[in-house]
Amino acid sequence: MSTAEPGKMLPVDPRPTYQLRSTANARIWQRFMLFLLTLCALVSIATTAGIIIMLVYESAGFFLNEQIEVGRFFTDTKWTVGQTQGELSYGIWPLVSGTFRITGIAMLISLPIGLITAVYLSEYASQRTRSILKPTLEILAGIPTVVLGFFAVKFITPWLLAPLGDFKTFNAGAAGIAVGILCLPLVTSLAEDALRAVPVSLREGSYGLGATKLETTIKVVIPAALSGIISAFLLALARAVGETMVVALAAGSSPTLTLDPRQPSQTMTGFIVETFKSEAVTPGTVNYYSIYAVAAVLFLLTFTITLIGQIIRLRYREVYE
Amino acid sequence: MNERKQFYENPRSEENRKKKSNAFATVCLLIASLAVVILVTLIGSIVASGGNWLSWELLTGVHREDNPEGSGIGQAIAGSLVLCFICGAVALPVGIGTALFLEEFKPTNRIVGWLHSLVQLNINNLAGVPSIVYGILGLTAFVYMFGLIEPIQANNPPSIEIGATYFYQTKTLGGKWVTFPAEDPEQTILKINEPVEVTMPSGEIVMLNVLPKSEPSPRDDAVRDVTVFEGANASTFRKNSPIHFHLPFSKSVLSAGLTLALVILPIVIIASQEALRAVPDSLREASLGLGATRWQTVRGTVLPAAIPGIMTGAILSMSRAVGEAAPIIAVMGSVAGTTTGLTSLMDKSPVLPVMIFRWAGEENPGFEHLSAAAIIVLLVFLLIMNSIAILIRYRHEKKQS
Amino acid sequence: MKNGVLSAAALLAVFGLLLVGCDSGPDAGGGENGGDNGGSNLSGSITIEGSSTVEPISTKAGEEFNKDYPGVNVAVSGQGTGNGFKALSKKECDVSGASRPIKASERDACNEAGLRFYEIPVAYDGLSIVVNKANDFVDQLTVEQLKMIFREDMAVTMWNEVDPSWPEEEITIYAPGVASGTHDYFREVIGKKDDKNIRSDETITLSEDDKLLVTGVKGEEFSIGFFGFSYYKENEDDLKVVPIVDPNTGEAVTPTEATIESGEYAPFSRPLFIYVNAESYQRAEVAEFVDFYLENAAMIAEGARYVPLPAEIYAAARDRLDKDMSGTHYLDEEGEKRSGPVSDVYVEGNLISE
Repeated sequence: MSTAEPGKMLPVDPRPTYQLRSTANARIWQRFMLFLLTLCALVSIATTAGIIIMLVYESAGFFLNEQIEVGRFFTDTKWTVGQTQGELSYGIWPLVSGTFRITGIAMLISLPIGLITAVYLSEYASQRTRSILKPTLEILAGIPTVVLGFFAVKFITPWLLAPLGDFKTFNAGAAGIAVGILCLPLVTSLAEDALRAVPVSLREGSYGLGATKLETTIKVVIPAALSGIISAFLLALARAVGETMVVALAAGSSPTLTLDPRQPSQTMTGFIVETFKSEAVTPGTVNYYSIYAVAAVLFLLTFTITLIGQIIRLRYREVYE
Repeated sequence: MNERKQFYENPRSEENRKKKSNAFATVCLLIASLAVVILVTLIGSIVASGGNWLSWELLTGVHREDNPEGSGIGQAIAGSLVLCFICGAVALPVGIGTALFLEEFKPTNRIVGWLHSLVQLNINNLAGVPSIVYGILGLTAFVYMFGLIEPIQANNPPSIEIGATYFYQTKTLGGKWVTFPAEDPEQTILKINEPVEVTMPSGEIVMLNVLPKSEPSPRDDAVRDVTVFEGANASTFRKNSPIHFHLPFSKSVLSAGLTLALVILPIVIIASQEALRAVPDSLREASLGLGATRWQTVRGTVLPAAIPGIMTGAILSMSRAVGEAAPIIAVMGSVAGTTTGLTSLMDKSPVLPVMIFRWAGEENPGFEHLSAAAIIVLLVFLLIMNSIAILIRYRHEKKQS
Repeated sequence: MKNGVLSAAALLAVFGLLLVGCDSGPDAGGGENGGDNGGSNLSGSITIEGSSTVEPISTKAGEEFNKDYPGVNVAVSGQGTGNGFKALSKKECDVSGASRPIKASERDACNEAGLRFYEIPVAYDGLSIVVNKANDFVDQLTVEQLKMIFREDMAVTMWNEVDPSWPEEEITIYAPGVASGTHDYFREVIGKKDDKNIRSDETITLSEDDKLLVTGVKGEEFSIGFFGFSYYKENEDDLKVVPIVDPNTGEAVTPTEATIESGEYAPFSRPLFIYVNAESYQRAEVAEFVDFYLENAAMIAEGARYVPLPAEIYAAARDRLDKDMSGTHYLDEEGEKRSGPVSDVYVEGNLISE
C-alpha cells in the first residue's frame, strides 16, 4: 500500500504520504451498489406482485364471463371445461379432491417414513449408515419430477399396483406413491434438522432418569421438536399440492369426485398441464381463463400452507440456548 | 405407587423396555433403508429399460416421427444447456444481489427495515409456489407480454425487432433460388420488374435478367439460371443473427429461460444467504475497522469468503432448473424438434425433461425405452453437476478446518 | 480463499466450454438432417397448426420436404382442428390441418380478418372404434349401440346395459378431446341430429393426446375408445378394432385401407384437409412446400399410415391453387354444411369464396 521507499526517514508531517483512495468515490460507489442490490431484491417482490396481479386480472376474465356463475365454481360437483361442447360444468371440487386424493396418498407414505428416517438419522445412525443414507436421500431429492412420473406410469402401475387389484392405466395410487417418494427427502431433511436442534442436554436428562432411547425419542425429543416437524409436514404438503409432472404422466385426465385410488384423477396442476399440452391456449376463451382461475385456487392453497408452516416454525420454535 | 415399585424392583420390565427400544432401532433402520431400496429400484428399472438404447445416435440425433431407432436428443441437450445458461445468467446475479442486500446491508431506518422483512417473508413464500404457476406467469409476462404488444403474425415481421436481416428470394427460370436484400421487410411480396443484383446459391453475385413476358423462354441453362420473367414474385425470408430479439418474446428459449430463472430465484437467494451467514463476523469487523465502506467490505472480504458456498448453492439450484419440465411446457409447449436447430434465443427448442415427458407418453414402445435412455443422460448430467458442487464444498470445508 | 475463487472460475470456464460445445450442436444436427444430397438453398420458415389427426401427415411431409430443402424450417404442431382455424383466422400460421371441413363461424372469422384460404383434401381417415385385445364379447357395434355408450343422454355405465349377453362390467371410455376434429366428427354421426353431445362424465377420459388414448385402451380390459385410423394401424397388434354396422346396408364393415377408400366403411370414413393461408402461399417457401405436399400426397399419406385420396381429387386441388380459387366447398350459400363423398362435394361448382 505504501509508496514510501524503505529506509527513508518519515517526514515530520504526521499525515501519511501514501495516497488515500478517495473516500468520496467509495461512498458514491457504495450508494450505487446499494441501489443495484435493492433493485435485485425488488425482482422477487415484482415476481410475487406479477403473480398476484396476473391471477386476479385474468381469472376475473373467467368469473366475469357471461357463461360463468361464480357460485357454481364452488358448489358444482362436476368439471367439464375443455371436455364438452354442451353445457359447461365448472365446479372446482373434482380438481381439488383429485389434488387431495393424490396428496393424501403421498403424505401417508412420506410422513411416517420420512419422520422415522429422520429419527433414525438423528438419534441412532452410526457414521457409516449415515454416510450411505444421507447421499441417498440427497440424490433422491435431486431426481427431476418428470423422471418420477415416468417411474410411476411405467413401473409402479404395471409392476406394483396392477397385481394388487383392478387399477386403471392412469390412477391416483401410482401418482400418489411417486409424489410420496418425491416428498420423502424433503420431510426427512427438515424433520432431521428439527430433531437435531433439540439440545443434547435434554436427552442426557432423560437418560439420567433411566429412560431408554425409545422413550427418550418419543417422549422428549419429538415433543421438543414438534413445531419443526409440523412445519416440515406443511412444506411437504405444499410441495405435493403443487406437484405437476408426476400427475400429468401418471394420474390421467378425467376429473373425478371419488375416493378410489384405482380410478384416474385429475388434479389442479394436471388440468393446467393437460390444457397447455392439448390446446393452443388462445387468449379470450373460457378455456384460457379457466387456467388462471384454477391457478389462483392452487396459488392461494399453497401460499396459505407455506405461510402457516413459516408461522409455526417462527412462532412456536423452542429456542434453546 | 405400586407401578413405581414394580418399576424399580422388577428388572424384567426394564429388560423389556430395552428390548422394545432395540426393536424400535431395528424397525427404524429397516424403514430408513427404504430410501435406498426406492433409489435402487428407480435407477435399476430405468437402466433396464433404457440402457441398451444409449448410443451415439441418441446423443446427436433429433426426434423422428414413428422412428424411435433414428431419434435422438441432440437438440434437446443443446436446448437444455442454453436454457441453463440463460437461467443462470439471470438468476445468479439477481439472487446473489438480493442475498447481499438482505445479509450485508442491514436496515438503518424504518422504511428499509420494512422492505427487508417484506423481501425475506416474500422469498420464503415464493419458494413454496408451484413451478407451474411460474410457468403461467412466464406465459403471460414473457410470451404474450400481458397482451400489450401485438402477437406475431405469419406474414408480417414483428414490429419491434433487432438482429434480423430480411432478404427476398425468387426462383429463376433455371430453378435456382437467388436472394437479394429487402429494404422494406413490411413488403413481403415484391414483383420483379427491373434487373437487380442477386446472390446465387454458390455465393456469386450476378445481375438478374428480367425478360418481358412476351419474349420466349431462353434455352441456354446458364442464362436460364440468372433470368426471370417480368413480374415474377419474390418473397421475404428472415436471416437471424445469434442476437436476434423481438417483442413479445413469443414461445422461445429466452421466455423459457427467464421463467426458469424466476423458478430458481428463491432457492439461489436462500442458499446464498446461508453462505453469507457462514462468513464469520470478525472478518467484516476487521474490514470495517480498517475504514472500508460496507460495499468494499462485501467485495473485498465477504464475497471471496462466501463464494464456495454460493457456488455450491448456485449449482444445486441450476440442477433443479435442468430437470424442470412443467413451466417449460407452459411457456414453450412440448416441442419435439426443429428443422434448423437453435439459431437465436428467439427460437423454440426441445429440452431434455420435456423430451422425456413427450416420449414417455408416446405409444410406440421404442419411445418408452428412448425416454428411459434420455433419463439416464439427464441423470448423468445432474450427477456431474452435483459432484462439482460436492467437490467445492469438500475443498472449502477442508480449507476451513 | 484464493483457491476457492480459482476453482469457481475454473468451473465457470468449464460451463463456458460446455456452452460453446452445445452451440455447435444444433448446426451439426442440422447438417446431418439436410445431408448433402444436393438440397436446394431455399430458406424461410413455415408454421403449421391444427388437427392432431393431420399432424402425422404434415410432419411426414415436412420430413420429406426437408430432404430436398434443408434450409426451410417446418414447424408442425397439433393442437386441435378448432384451435388451428383460430390461429389461421388470426393470421398466426401458414397452414392449418383439419380433420373436418371448416365451419361457417370459422369461415366468417377468416372473412372478418380479411384472410383467404385454399381448401385442400390430403387423405382419407377411417375413424376407428377399438376395444382391448382381451375383449372377446364385442364383435361388432351398431350406431345405436355407440350412441348408448358415448352420448350424454344415454351414457350407460355397464357393458350388459348395451347388450344383455355382455358381461356385467363397468365401461371405461377413452376419446379425443373437444378441440379435435375427430371428436366433432364422431359427435356429428351419433348426436348431431338430436343435438346431443358426447358424454363428459367420470366414465370417459377425454384427451387431445391420441397416444394417451391408445395407452388407456391397451391397459384396461373393459375399455373402449376411438381415434384416427393411423393410431389404430400403428398399434394394430395391441388393439382390437370393432367392425361397425353401416345403417344403410346393415352390414358390419372393418376399417381397412380398402374399405375406407371405397367408402364401404360408413359412416366413419372421412377426408382430412389442410387449409392454406393464401397470403402465405405467395411466399416462396410456403408455395414450394404446399406444391410438394400435394404432389407427393399419396406417398406421404401412406407413409403416415393413412389412406390416399383418388388422383382426381389431388388434381382438382392443384387446379384450385393454380387458379387462385380460395374458399370452401363444404358450406353452401346459407352457411349450411354440405356432406357426402369427397368426389361429390369437392367440385368447382360448390366453391364459395366469401
